[in-house]
Amino acid sequence: MAVAAPSDPEAFRLGLRAPHAVAAPASVEALSKLLRASDANGESVVFFGGGTLQGIGNAPSRYDLAISLAKLSKVIAYEHRDLTIAVQSGMRVAALDAKLSAKGQFVPLDAPHASRSTVGGVLAAGWLGPRRATYGRPRDFVIGSAIVLADGTVAHAGGMVVKNSTGYDLSRLYVGSLGTLGALVRTNFKTLPLPPARRAAIASLPERTRRRAIDHVAALGYEPVAALVVRGFGGEIAGRDGLDGRLLLFYEGSPVTIDKATRELRSALGAAGVPETTILDREAAVTFTRLVDAYVSPLGDKGATYRSFGTPSDLGPRFELVAALAAQHSLELESIEDLRTGDLIARLSAPSPDEFTQAAVVFDDALHVQLPYAQVLVAPPSLRDRLSMWGNDPPALPQMRALKQRFDPNGTLAPGRFVGGI
Amino acid sequence: METATASSLHQRLTGALGAEGVRCEPEDLAVYAFDAYSEASLPSAAVLPKDAREVSAVVRIARECGEPIVARGAGTGLCGGATPVAGGIVVSFARMNRILGIDVRNRRARVQPGLINLELSNAAQPSGLFFGPDPSSQKISTIGGNVATNAGGPHALSYGSMINHVLGLEFVDDAGEVVSVSSDEPGYDLSSVLVGSEGTLGIVTAVELRLLRLPRAIRVAVASFGDVEAASEAVSAIIGAGIVPTALEIMDKTITQAVEAHYHAGFPLDAGAVLLVEIAGEPEDVTASEAAIADIARAHGSTMWRSAADARERDALWASRKGAAGAIGRIAPNYYIQDACVPRTRLPQALHRIDEICAEHKLLVGNVFHAGDGNLHPLLIFDRRERRQVEAVIAAGTDILRACIELGGTISGEHGIGFEKRDSLPKVFSSDDLATMGRVRDVFDPVRLFNPDKIFPSGAICGEVRTPENAVAAGAWL
Repeated sequence: MAVAAPSDPEAFRLGLRAPHAVAAPASVEALSKLLRASDANGESVVFFGGGTLQGIGNAPSRYDLAISLAKLSKVIAYEHRDLTIAVQSGMRVAALDAKLSAKGQFVPLDAPHASRSTVGGVLAAGWLGPRRATYGRPRDFVIGSAIVLADGTVAHAGGMVVKNSTGYDLSRLYVGSLGTLGALVRTNFKTLPLPPARRAAIASLPERTRRRAIDHVAALGYEPVAALVVRGFGGEIAGRDGLDGRLLLFYEGSPVTIDKATRELRSALGAAGVPETTILDREAAVTFTRLVDAYVSPLGDKGATYRSFGTPSDLGPRFELVAALAAQHSLELESIEDLRTGDLIARLSAPSPDEFTQAAVVFDDALHVQLPYAQVLVAPPSLRDRLSMWGNDPPALPQMRALKQRFDPNGTLAPGRFVGGI
Repeated sequence: METATASSLHQRLTGALGAEGVRCEPEDLAVYAFDAYSEASLPSAAVLPKDAREVSAVVRIARECGEPIVARGAGTGLCGGATPVAGGIVVSFARMNRILGIDVRNRRARVQPGLINLELSNAAQPSGLFFGPDPSSQKISTIGGNVATNAGGPHALSYGSMINHVLGLEFVDDAGEVVSVSSDEPGYDLSSVLVGSEGTLGIVTAVELRLLRLPRAIRVAVASFGDVEAASEAVSAIIGAGIVPTALEIMDKTITQAVEAHYHAGFPLDAGAVLLVEIAGEPEDVTASEAAIADIARAHGSTMWRSAADARERDALWASRKGAAGAIGRIAPNYYIQDACVPRTRLPQALHRIDEICAEHKLLVGNVFHAGDGNLHPLLIFDRRERRQVEAVIAAGTDILRACIELGGTISGEHGIGFEKRDSLPKVFSSDDLATMGRVRDVFDPVRLFNPDKIFPSGAICGEVRTPENAVAAGAWL
């Protein structure tokens, strides 16, 4: 087996399993060859980008080879006047951001740890950030792709045009497939013009103001690109909790509109009984970055972070439910409620690893009874095989299994990592 | 189909759906034989199910009888996607045309596939919401058909195509099981595969859609240019300057004159081309963007800029733009609408090539297209009674597709591949690319029950271009 980079397999550990070897092919052809050989030899393979979102999903059931895509990091084509870019998957998100911002553009990936995370990794993990309510999901910006299948086939889908109804749109199928259908090696994006200004507004929520503040934010005429109620995450996410947590809003647009939005917000929050709103302009971008980093910040052996998808209107009840379960199991709860997307991020922890382990397994079962699709974003390695990382099986699992079987009949790619043990 | 078998099929369908849900007589079936593409083929039966359970029964019967199934919305498709080319059972959604619910707080709607696109925006409007994709056919085309083709429309520039608005689907699979997929559930994004699959993977029976908040300010303006090349240079410059309005549409002189004669919306008759611009958002931003766009237009030779004064004028401009093909029908005996997409900076070259190609084939062409997306719709004018002209239209259509591919584009931006373009697909994708799509087809529809002979090239003549006589789209939507 060709091992291109002498990396330490320990650095590629997932759960309790480390691979036997690590490879970092320097070209798509080399990757294709490597996969074909692994597939023929019955070796199981897990793809790696920056590793920032590898906390998602089950640990692999078999794990022979880690393939780092870090060497496939080129910009293939940047047609900035077309607002399109094609990049290789191993490109760091921060490098993509820098390339685009030099031309006044961006792709709203909202990726945590952008300096380490890769474009392919963020897409494979199906990452969804807070700004998607305004701009759309990362997959909505994917207009084309190339993937290397388990048997080494290189297959393209889509193209470099922003509107396309030509054949099946497989690019978006690969987004969120966690490397179980193939290795995404090229992604074509459509880009957006960067907003001329950004602003963050932060307010502590005094006791019994949360509900009213949320209602007032929902009724704002000038809509923030992201609006969140945070509790905890002190020192990680900006602002200080009141008794009801704190509110973080992000505005993007023209300075004149943002000023009007701010006036409207201050008045709305004042009416909700929230006395003070802090405005951050120069620090708005870094405040947002730190927020999304916190979604997946590691907690060692003392905690785990869950994400529950839903709607803005059932966010409150979901929060109450998780809070009650956390209290019942003596777990400390920190949370991010995304008022625009309905996402609930719940980080649970205990004073010691033993206490956490004991409580977490029972909590996990109880949680999935109420929120069947709550997903684990981060968990201690020892718990990865004991928690329901994806939640319950979705109704279309038979179709998903059949797809996996047809794309990867030998179960070479990330076996067991995905939903339902795919 | 032999009569005995046919009567058994009809009996079984009638048993499952009742007589009111089944059409068997040739005179009733004639309307299901074609869509807006010209090739026609009579199905064995047409059914009008009331719910997913009845669709499921139809799928089971079709499977047992070895009859293919073709789902049909309003039949406005231009590529033969709903034409039952292999016969079989056409499933019409005329009786599954309701809005099942609008969730205002969460900006979602659940609808049946037969719902007419425009009715969703009309229903959502009192709550301050609307549905983004607005194909020009939106007054009659259905959400199910829009899902099948990944339809776009003029506002796709800012709001995206159907793929960006479908949050979940309910569909009947090849075994007749009702399956639901949702973006709220973990696993592969199956909605993304079903959208744009042109009825080849299953029969969609309900759609969960994202709604958008109505913008607080909308401005629609018209700019005149000397020719389409100059107008499209302006569009490239607007996009290149980092301004993405909600719509950027171009009509050439032929189209503008036909439209103005029909609608009297106030388009300049002396312009070589007009650019229709829509900007939406907060009032201050709309005003600033309009000024910036008008400046760019002037710098590219625009001689006139006129903003719609009010909502009535704005609606009139849009109504005439969306009715462009209908208007051209008044001056042309027949016309053929092509759909291709190029990178937007290549628009001037693409238009130049289209002109050359039409001149080579001695054909008149009108251009009306979604310029901001690089989505071209050359409209070739011909007389169906002239065999030479029909052949020329088919040849020119193929040449235009080839030219767009050479410019880095593709052969459908929003109409789909259907029957018409399936043999051109290998010009865009390699055999490995197509085989990978085939793997997905194998999973959902291994026996090719759903809409056979669509999208993918016919095995025997893979790579060749078909030139069937009279096989050109006769439709009116772009």
